[in-house]
Amino acid sequence: MDTLLIATFEILSFGAIVVLVVLGLGIIASMMGIFNFAQGEFVLLGAYVTYLMHSVGLPVPLGMLAAPVAVGTLGFVLEKLVVRRFYAAPIVAMLGTYALGLIIREAVRGLTGGLYLSVPEPISGSITIGSLHFAAWRGVIVIITLLVMAASHALLAYTSFGLRVRASLENPQLARASGISTGMIYSVTFAFGAALAGLAGALIVPVFSLFADLGIRFLIQGFVAVMVGGVGSFAGPVAGASVIGTFSAWLPWLMSPVIADVLVFVLAIIFIKFRPQGLVSGRGVNR
Amino acid sequence: MSSTGTGTQPPPHVIEAARSPVMASAIAGRTKVLPILELALLIAASIAPLVLRDYITVYATRVLILCLFALSFDLVWGYAGILSLGQSLFFGTAGYGVALLSRDFGVASIFAVLPAGTLIGFVAALLLAGFLLLGRHPSSVVFVSLGTMTGAYAADRLARGSHYLGGQNGIPSIPPMTIGSHELSEGPGFYYLVLAILVLIYLLSRFLLRSQFGLALAGLRENEQRIAFFGYNVQHLKAIIFAISGAIAGASGSLYAFHEGFVWTNMLGVVMSTQVVLYVLFGGSGTLIGAVIGTAIVEGLSFWLSDNYRDIWPIILGVLLLLVILFRPLGLISLVLGERERVGHFGPSLKEKRNAAP
Repeated sequence: MDTLLIATFEILSFGAIVVLVVLGLGIIASMMGIFNFAQGEFVLLGAYVTYLMHSVGLPVPLGMLAAPVAVGTLGFVLEKLVVRRFYAAPIVAMLGTYALGLIIREAVRGLTGGLYLSVPEPISGSITIGSLHFAAWRGVIVIITLLVMAASHALLAYTSFGLRVRASLENPQLARASGISTGMIYSVTFAFGAALAGLAGALIVPVFSLFADLGIRFLIQGFVAVMVGGVGSFAGPVAGASVIGTFSAWLPWLMSPVIADVLVFVLAIIFIKFRPQGLVSGRGVNR
Repeated sequence: MSSTGTGTQPPPHVIEAARSPVMASAIAGRTKVLPILELALLIAASIAPLVLRDYITVYATRVLILCLFALSFDLVWGYAGILSLGQSLFFGTAGYGVALLSRDFGVASIFAVLPAGTLIGFVAALLLAGFLLLGRHPSSVVFVSLGTMTGAYAADRLARGSHYLGGQNGIPSIPPMTIGSHELSEGPGFYYLVLAILVLIYLLSRFLLRSQFGLALAGLRENEQRIAFFGYNVQHLKAIIFAISGAIAGASGSLYAFHEGFVWTNMLGVVMSTQVVLYVLFGGSGTLIGAVIGTAIVEGLSFWLSDNYRDIWPIILGVLLLLVILFRPLGLISLVLGERERVGHFGPSLKEKRNAAP
């Protein structure tokens, strides 16, 4: 019973991490039709900003607040300069954002000297319930993930900004004719997705430590999750991320980690092959 | 084609495509640029070992092998529009395959290992194509790229975890390849062998692409739906070219394994398969020579720059790639080559027909 609870918590906290990483990717893919190959590097950059703040002596939580702001700003600038040229050609967008990701990754590799750097958990220790111990920071990640998810959904479903985003998604021409600046909406949406990735990076860096290839691991996982969940809706990527996160955390309990890691992806690809529309085949944001 | 359309703003790559024939035809005039370029490169490559120092010749041999690899990616992406982000899967599988052949069975004769590597690549690609490309639903580009990337990632992970395949370290000290009783070590001999194979495969691919099959493939890249309406079985065309490209990647992978003398997991993984995407995008997809030029330029630059600027070289590479994608979507080759020469043709040209008419 105890191991079961511990296992459930492990699975839940890992699932939360994947959801957090995928949320930004899913929002950009669903709302803008762009598969952002630099998303993993936005996660990396969030982690790096947190490390940087920590290394100059500032408290870690402050770095975690600064990370999404910094990465979101960068996302905004990159969208204005580069990404917006790609909207007409989604395939070129994949290659272009890949190049962006390469630049960020190698820059961070140069800055960190190719080392594994660690950042302490802002809330260390464990929570004890009865005879069970849970890592406190992982619990915090789960809670923050739930909050961010709810806030993102509320933002898209209930605010006037969300309405404009959805309008630009449904029918860009009509949205423009109605006086919505779709160019601005795209910039802000991209920046928002980037900021979410930055936040994810900031939160997970105490768990995974900082290294240049941190993003690649999450990139494939994120794409598979978005495809499994279904592109085009808010719920799709979240559902996909939950499924992928759960399997990624659960299967290593049953078999060797290497086989489990590969098996998750292979199963996911087979699933997408036979159900291309994904788990949630809707469009838009359900209220 | 004209770029003077008003109203809706055409996407940048359309403008580019419309503009380039005009520019290129001014340079090209009546003569064709492509054959001249190909011949010039062949001559340069043939005399290179005579003037280069030995260690550079060894490096150049590796570049030629990578050119072969780039050719295989160009066939699927540049011609059929299949974004294969797992091309290294075939490259690496063949490399590991021939390494095992020589380690466990003592087979190192070129007449055995090269066909074996090619076959491994072919079969692996055919299996993957059968799953990813065939089936009731037509597969989206994103799905295919994700599927191939996952394939490469999975192979990398499995090879890392396998004791039989040497784990992280790969398989070291593969014995040299033999022709009869002659042992082939790196140097001019190996260089000319690879050059001969590259030229042979280049010519075969060129012949294939200048046929009706090649035209259908180019059509697939430009407008898949229209090719389907013409009655072609789009999925079969894609699977065939995918398998052929896998075979070429397999051949280059086995050459690479014997040239370097060892195989390691990077040959299988995502790093290698994105490397080949870089080469082809740089040089220009959709022309075979573009892939070769791209490989030569990227590897040449990295040879000179990585000595002095080891740390920032990958960043420079990324920036250059971004600039090429933004401003030259058809690659550097589009500076000298018109859009018209990118699309293959077969049979006598229009001009010849006109001249033949009384």
